[in-house]
Amino acid sequence: MDVFTLSLWALRLGFLVLVYAFFVFVARALWRDLRAGVSGAGRPLARLFVISAAEGRPEPGTSIPLDAVNSIGRDVNNSIVVDDSFVSAEHALLTFRGRAWYVEDRGSTNGTWLNGQRIEGLWPLGFGDEIQVGQVRMRLDRPPEVTS
Amino acid sequence: MSAAVNALGRVGIRPRLRRRELGLLVLVMVALTVGWASYVSFRDGHLELADTSALATYFVALLAIHALFVLSGRRMDEILFPTAALLAGISLIMMQRLPQDLVTQSVGGATLGLGQLQLFWILMGFAIMAAVAVLVRSDGWLRRYKYTWAAAGICLLLLVFVFGDVTGGARLTIHIGPISGQPSELLKVILVVFLAGYLAENRALLASASTRLGPLRLPPLPYLLPMLAMWGIALAIVIVQSDLGAALLYFLVFLALVYVATRRVSYVILGMGLFLAGGFVLYELVGRVQERIDIWINPWADAQGTGYQVIRALYAYGRGGILGTGIGAGLPQVGNVPSIPAIHTDFIFAGVAEELGMIGALAILGLYVVIAQRGFRIAALAIDDFRSLLATGLTLVIVVQAAIIAGGNLRVVPLTGITLPFVSYGGSSLLVNGAVIGLLLALSDRGVPPPVPGTHRGMRERIGRRARALGGRVESALS
Repeated sequence: MDVFTLSLWALRLGFLVLVYAFFVFVARALWRDLRAGVSGAGRPLARLFVISAAEGRPEPGTSIPLDAVNSIGRDVNNSIVVDDSFVSAEHALLTFRGRAWYVEDRGSTNGTWLNGQRIEGLWPLGFGDEIQVGQVRMRLDRPPEVTS
Repeated sequence: MSAAVNALGRVGIRPRLRRRELGLLVLVMVALTVGWASYVSFRDGHLELADTSALATYFVALLAIHALFVLSGRRMDEILFPTAALLAGISLIMMQRLPQDLVTQSVGGATLGLGQLQLFWILMGFAIMAAVAVLVRSDGWLRRYKYTWAAAGICLLLLVFVFGDVTGGARLTIHIGPISGQPSELLKVILVVFLAGYLAENRALLASASTRLGPLRLPPLPYLLPMLAMWGIALAIVIVQSDLGAALLYFLVFLALVYVATRRVSYVILGMGLFLAGGFVLYELVGRVQERIDIWINPWADAQGTGYQVIRALYAYGRGGILGTGIGAGLPQVGNVPSIPAIHTDFIFAGVAEELGMIGALAILGLYVVIAQRGFRIAALAIDDFRSLLATGLTLVIVVQAAIIAGGNLRVVPLTGITLPFVSYGGSSLLVNGAVIGLLLALSDRGVPPPVPGTHRGMRERIGRRARALGGRVESALS
């Protein structure tokens, strides 16, 4: 094997190696994106803990992650579907506005209750407050701490 | 440096550095230079780096587009562009390496060969990509006029049905004066825009099943109609145009988008059933379908005729092996033409697989996987349903097309004549795929707010009010 043949081989393999180096760099970028995604964006703003439900739906003890806007009701198009016979199709709205959480009744038949009092219109609420719709009692909880 | 940035800021330009993109572009350029050196050295028999003008032009264009993106200050994806640049760069080297008289076009006395034409189309495609990526700030014009888009697409299709020229047994090229093009490439983007708009609007209805058909739960029948229409269009394309590749691409992208929008497997099963039924009927009725499937099952039945290219491609994989023959060392010619006549368009994947080997062919497929990952990521992070579905569809258009033609080359699926995005020779394909990547880049900038819902209805009401006022005036004038 003379020098020319060897260097031709080196160039050929070098091209393939460099193309695969591209993949390595892309994979590193993807890995960083994934890491960034885990620590930031995917985290819910808060959780809704189900304290008790007379008809067992949603199951007591479960914790529902919340977005900025959450509609509560029996209709399947709500972001939180509460399948309870005393809950209206479009029952209440739970929203995060700026820095605080608000709950709003959407003209439900049996009302929305905040810490044992029936509410009308828009009411602010904090972590640990209790909401009752129909026969379902739920509590607003802090979002889970990020472990990584 | 900071003074320059301040000066730019005064004229309203806020540059945003894109280090990741620049790094990847530099890597792409180094890789392509090494690849080119390996070809030129083999060709001339001694170590050298000659005839670099085409490559240098390409590199300047890549850096110019990068600079434009930096100056635009948009938060766009930084990996899509280098990926497309690597694919197009490999294409450029292959097209320079193939016999230049495969495609020639004389422009003002000078005759341009395959390599020069491909360089021109790649630069035009990337120019469109950059323009779309930087200029498209709002998607309202895509979102609102979805039925207009659909109508335009159908017009385009009819135009091809009536005026199309037959190339390679398929009616897909249109000539308008000196310009010729393949509208089926453009049609795929129009289709995705329409479907994204339609599905984003009717998603909830389509997802709630009400009709039962055996074990399948289907949506209300009127909402099934577009699905059947789509199936009909795909069949019409096959029968009238004999363009199997485009029909397959449209139908697969359509099914995938419906699945993404509704998450219902029953649609996919139904669609596949329709597809198989249509396939059986077409196999009996249309000679071309039958021919393609027969070649796929046994190309050796007519080895010197219809099965010739497929068999030659299989030989090429054998010659290439794992590491390939090296650029310039493979692809023997029979007489004056390459042993695979369509090596620069439909069979470019076989060409790459021979000269860069299985490793190189896998790298090409890997680059499409990278495009898929970026595209689906853009879709997942999109603000609303329309953008999400649009990004999904645009990604699918590129990736599914690559899968269909690479599979056809490898005799995994029946061969259909479509291009390998960014790698095959072809103006229409490069321009449209450039626009697709440009749209994906524009969608990846999430700083653009979605249009306020209801403005469209507001406009309609305004027009209605004006019409009523006009009617009132006419009435009062009459009485």
